[in-house]
Amino acid sequence: MIWLLVIGLVLHLLNLVRLAIPRESSQLNVVANLVNAAALVCGLTFSLTALLDYHRLEYRFELPATGDVVIGFDGLSLFFLFTFQLLSLAASLYAIDHLRAYSGRGSSVRTHLWFFTLLLLALQLLVVTQNALVFLVIWELMALGAYFAIVFDTDKPEVRRGGFWYLAATHASALLLYICFITLRELTGSWNFEDFARRAAYDPKVLALILLTGFTGFAVKAGFMPFHVWLPNAHPAAPTHVSSLLSAINIKAGIYGIARLTVLLPALNAAYGWGLLTLSLVTAVLGVWYALAQHDIKRLLAYHSVENIGIIGLGLGIALLGRSYARPELVVLGFGGALLHTLNHAIFKGLLFFGAGNVYSEAHSANIEKMGGFARVIPLTGATFLIGAISICGLPPFNGFVSEFLLYKGLFRASDLLTGYAAIASLFAIVGLAFMGGLALACFAKLYGIVFLGHNRSGIASGKQSEPMLSGVALVGLAVLCTLLGVYPAAGLRLVAPALEQLPGTGQAPVGWASPLGKLQIIYLLFLTLFFVTCGLKLWLQWVNGVRIRETWSCGYAQVSSRMQYTASGFAEELVKLGRPMLAFSVNWKSLRTILPSEATFASRCLDRMEEGWLLVNRGVGIFFGGLRWIQSANIRDCVLYLFAAVFFYLLCALVW
Amino acid sequence: MVKLSSDPWLWLRYVLFFAAAPLFTGVVNKFKALLSGRRGPTLFQPYYELGRLAHKETVYSTSAGLVSRLGAPVVFCTVTIAALFVPLGTSSAVSFQGELILFAYLLALGRFFQILAALDVASSLEGMGASREARFAVFAEPIFFFTLGSLATITRQYSFATIIAGISWRDPLFVVFVSVGLLALFFLMTAECSRMPVDDPNTHLELTMIHEVMILDASGIDLALYQYVTSLKLLLYCTLAGLLLNPFGASGLMPGLLILIATLFVLGFALALIETLMARLRLVLVPQFLLFAAAIGILNVLVYAFSRKA
Repeated sequence: MIWLLVIGLVLHLLNLVRLAIPRESSQLNVVANLVNAAALVCGLTFSLTALLDYHRLEYRFELPATGDVVIGFDGLSLFFLFTFQLLSLAASLYAIDHLRAYSGRGSSVRTHLWFFTLLLLALQLLVVTQNALVFLVIWELMALGAYFAIVFDTDKPEVRRGGFWYLAATHASALLLYICFITLRELTGSWNFEDFARRAAYDPKVLALILLTGFTGFAVKAGFMPFHVWLPNAHPAAPTHVSSLLSAINIKAGIYGIARLTVLLPALNAAYGWGLLTLSLVTAVLGVWYALAQHDIKRLLAYHSVENIGIIGLGLGIALLGRSYARPELVVLGFGGALLHTLNHAIFKGLLFFGAGNVYSEAHSANIEKMGGFARVIPLTGATFLIGAISICGLPPFNGFVSEFLLYKGLFRASDLLTGYAAIASLFAIVGLAFMGGLALACFAKLYGIVFLGHNRSGIASGKQSEPMLSGVALVGLAVLCTLLGVYPAAGLRLVAPALEQLPGTGQAPVGWASPLGKLQIIYLLFLTLFFVTCGLKLWLQWVNGVRIRETWSCGYAQVSSRMQYTASGFAEELVKLGRPMLAFSVNWKSLRTILPSEATFASRCLDRMEEGWLLVNRGVGIFFGGLRWIQSANIRDCVLYLFAAVFFYLLCALVW
Repeated sequence: MVKLSSDPWLWLRYVLFFAAAPLFTGVVNKFKALLSGRRGPTLFQPYYELGRLAHKETVYSTSAGLVSRLGAPVVFCTVTIAALFVPLGTSSAVSFQGELILFAYLLALGRFFQILAALDVASSLEGMGASREARFAVFAEPIFFFTLGSLATITRQYSFATIIAGISWRDPLFVVFVSVGLLALFFLMTAECSRMPVDDPNTHLELTMIHEVMILDASGIDLALYQYVTSLKLLLYCTLAGLLLNPFGASGLMPGLLILIATLFVLGFALALIETLMARLRLVLVPQFLLFAAAIGILNVLVYAFSRKA
């Protein structure tokens, strides 16, 4: 079946070639995206069949400078390949309608599509490469594609700024990864992952260097706190199909990296597991808390991605602990939960971003305070967004519940199998997971309630329905997947199973580790039956007793306007207040001060403490190097002196060693 | 693996349980009336109320969409299905290892729809109630996992029936743990079932707007469903507390079930007593009250764990 994937990759390449030819055509957008979609359908067929009928595939060939290059399709690679292709397909379909509005922009659309295709190609190649050097090259290509795809509306300053955040973060991440992989190469003498895995023991100090650089590098990409700051800046800047890709799968490249590293390295000291667990909990709780305070729909979703990365990290943390304490069950539950949540999050976050994009093109604003009542204007988006919102809160019967259930189970088992303080710590992690569940519920109740329900707050709902067909296909497809993976947990578990098989430390994966999820359908069927009976009874009673439509009861007040509805800030304010001092608002308030009325304005913005921290660090770095600038602007004689000093220094070094 | 009970007598118990939910509210109301020196309505008053509402016309807001029309049935179904996990015999009607998590999340699903239904009618009053409900719910789930979750980790069981069976009454430390945990559970119940001192079930004045104001625009059968769910939730939490306190379990009629029913009366009386003696807490104090309950849970776990080690 590998030829299907090859066809897919060739189609991507052909697309790149066509888009490089400077010949504009009005149908370019449609054709390019459809070719991408066709390529992804081929690739998806390959990865799905390979996952269902799993056996390891491997292809080797020589490249100068890198030695043996292995393109390997193991369980982990295939799983991520499947996830990436699935969401890329949805984004390609969505992009057709989204980019149609820009068809007058000529070459900028062509350039954008070129880099978008590059991003899709790089994402697929990244996960199948089993060679560190090639991996790094593709990693850079992916960053390049993503950066230029983000900066589409280059005339907006916030887009340039958001793009720059992405570029800076991705460079920092790449730098750390270079250190990590070069160290591994020095130790093992090979760039291949399989040779890394073959080495049984590492010097603890070197291992610490590898882990810290590797984990941090991938954590920057994934968006763990405090490295998450690029997400809420880059996501609103990008066009919708790109921001959905960024959030749904690009950050998962970081998760893939962490997962790959844990597979490659031997069992670690438990401190690493606890460290990852703590970091993930902090990331998840603060991420959702920041999300609660946002008014910008894409920024809010970006912070929610940070939360979900925390949840995935929680699973990886459990798996690490399971390996260090030699508890195969924990490894399976943690790793399985984390991987499944990766897929699930990709699906519902893609869905939510597409929905947000439709809302944006309807409202021409990302500020949710101006929205309301969109469930009536764009009903399909309203219904699918609701499914996405329920899924992301981890509520049954959708897919978010399945992966969160596995994580709960893993933590419960951890408090069971581990002794001493570890048991109590896992209980606290359980409670933390429940707490962020409550916050996520509040956040999505706010988002859905304010954006889709009630009346429109500013009259910006144009009433013209902008739910193009292909975006509808993407939305409905993802919503169906949310339901399917939720109601049939076995389907998702089947996709994860090959990755778990190859996992070191699982020993033999305990049979029936996910068995409680076995026949969850019975409960859902019971629920559905009861629901239909109740609805039937309700409809019958209403048919007998009658239904009337009247305006909302407002305690007798007659002059109700849509501006009197509860606002998003009002809804979240009390909860946000609890999060001080991590959550602060910058308030810009020009109030009435004089007797005669003058113009009054009010604007508030949630400050991200960590963003401020990074900016402060940047400023410090800038000042430090600014202080060294005199060296650079010296006259020629000084420069010769520096050269001489440098040569002298090297000679001295050579002499001493 | 999910197991459905095949015992018809067990299912009969559940039918009785669901039928008795308004009666329990009636009992609490009767206690309240007696304590404040009134005769009060009959025990069956809640049934009359439900019947009256079911025969009324439904009025929908002009801004109400599908969500508020589906809200009441969804809320009803989530709580009803969650109630099937409570073991009213040797096992529960539906059981699997991990029903604790599904129980909490089903209730959360109901809450989500209730909040959305409140926001759907575009009223500032109901928005206020929805915001408060969302805020207090954030504390409710951690308390739930600190009490029942810690019991689950200690007994190493994840379904209610086995957790309750796993409580060893010979161990004094365990008895202390369960009783203190129940205190936190009781606090949680006052928040979840919108009783004093968190919420006032009798009024929807704006100062006390939480649960009652969220259903301000519901009418007819929708309102009946919401009110039934409130009484069912109350009975559900009291039964859970009663089962945890009951060393004999609910399997046999004597003395298990009798003790359970007696505990329910005691808990109902305690609720009525609190509502007679106390005023509602100011809203700003409610988070502190809930944090206090969470703190009890934390301390309880820590004390148990440390004295177990020593």
